[in-house]
Amino acid sequence: MKFFFSAGRYFALLARVFSRPERSRIYLQKLFLEIESLGINSVGIVAVISTFMGGIITLQVAYNMTNPFLPTYLIGLGNRDSLILEFSSTVMALIMAGKIGSNITSEIGSMRVTEQIDSLEIMGVNSASYLILPKIAAVVLMFPFLYILSVFFGLIGGLIVGPSLGAVSATDYINGIQYAFTPYYVTFSLIKSLFFGFLVASVPAYFGYFVEGGALEVGTASTRAVVNTNILILVFDLILTQLLF
Amino acid sequence: MIRIENLNKSFEGNTVLNNITTEFQKGKTNLIIGRSGSGKTVLLKSIVGLHEIDNGSIYYDDRNFTTMKPSVRKKLRQEMGMVFQGGALFDSLTVAENVRFPLDMFTEQTPAEKARRVEFCLDRVNISREAHRLSPSEISGGMKKRVAIARAISLNPKYLFCDEPNSGLDPETSLLIDDLIHEITVEFNITTIINTHDMNSVMEIGEKILFISEGEMCWEGTKTEILYAENKKLQEFVFANPQYKQIRDLRREADTD
Ligand SMILES: Nc1ncnc2c1ncn2[C@@H]1O[C@H](COP(=O)(O)OP(=O)(O)O)[C@@H](O)[C@H]1O
Ligand SMILES: [Mg+2]
Repeated sequence: MKFFFSAGRYFALLARVFSRPERSRIYLQKLFLEIESLGINSVGIVAVISTFMGGIITLQVAYNMTNPFLPTYLIGLGNRDSLILEFSSTVMALIMAGKIGSNITSEIGSMRVTEQIDSLEIMGVNSASYLILPKIAAVVLMFPFLYILSVFFGLIGGLIVGPSLGAVSATDYINGIQYAFTPYYVTFSLIKSLFFGFLVASVPAYFGYFVEGGALEVGTASTRAVVNTNILILVFDLILTQLLF
Repeated sequence: MIRIENLNKSFEGNTVLNNITTEFQKGKTNLIIGRSGSGKTVLLKSIVGLHEIDNGSIYYDDRNFTTMKPSVRKKLRQEMGMVFQGGALFDSLTVAENVRFPLDMFTEQTPAEKARRVEFCLDRVNISREAHRLSPSEISGGMKKRVAIARAISLNPKYLFCDEPNSGLDPETSLLIDDLIHEITVEFNITTIINTHDMNSVMEIGEKILFISEGEMCWEGTKTEILYAENKKLQEFVFANPQYKQIRDLRREADTD
């Protein structure tokens, strides 16, 4: 029952978000600000986490290849496909839900409890569209870039960690990451990242927009937003993998 | 002028407002008073359409707000200004940007015209030029309320709504804010409705007073009538501070002399 109520309210909110913007110039300005605060400011964390994960996956693949007849290029290949297929799309989206999602819920939620949203409404501004549309657009635009960036740094991480710890030679690793490359894997993940971007912006925005109470409730809403976004990301991962693979 | 007829409002079966009928006059400060929890904020938000009412009608100068199409309602919103309890300034914008916001959204003015209007409104509420580029977190509670008033009047509203404009302010600052709202109301001939539980405000600017208790409309009158009202609940509210009993008794003596 609760689920159907929430789902109905979520789609009703989206309908208001995507109604025609009043002032496109103001929306465009907000879009650039959001790209900076939600997207550009996430580049650092994406780079750091991906570099470490690429290094760790490379080590794991190398240490688990106990059979000496398996070719060593499989190490690079293993890291590449893990990054391209799941880590840089799905795991990165889960991490971003924590960073960007909680930020969106607390920003919109505190505007709700301090009556700033009422303030917009009384002026005749469509608060849902004004506050949420630029965020969704910014995150959906940035997610494919963050995906590519994550794959890139993950590959670099493997290249740094693998040879320096003697798990794989640099030549073998570089051969591995080029071996039997399937471009469709990237296309598939880019499509996923668009869906995940939409979830990471819209679900936390929903939780923030309908907060009732005060600062404490905003905190609770942030947590619930992140948990729910994560579950939805995994559900969509399952559905999209089934549909597109 | 704003008229409401038989307004009812409930939340999930809990009646909060019961059959309110009254009229608020133009160029005057109309007060809605009552204890906290009596339904003042819900009434004000129902009048401006932030809450959908169960039944009844609301008229803005004979325009029926209740049956209005959303697009017409949206236009009418530009004739309204509202000052919320905490000020509700946008924290991501500076003081000046807050006041300019409605101009950006709803007018075709040039940047110079907007800047002039922003200066005019902020000067009117006595905000110094140095404060224009501060953010809301850097200014005092009283200043926030004044900036909120400046933002509310930036589009020259016909209707001004203030929810507890004095809450959280010291008595002296409260008086300044009350007088400011009263002056602006008279100067620009606005229909102003103010929520308050502060008897000082009532005695200062209560040109028309509506007393509500537990969502029921109990009494209507002016600040001169309120001290002599017979209504039990109103008396409890007014004379919670014994000072007003003394004032009443002194005035009675003066009258009989
Ligand atoms: N959004 C809401 N949902 C349910 N009940 C509400 C809501 N807003 C206010 N109420 C209830 O309405 C009553 C009047 O509240 P309010 O108008 O805020 O009082 P006040 O006179 O202090 O402004 C209170 O009992 C409050 O619990
Ligand atoms: Mg209130």
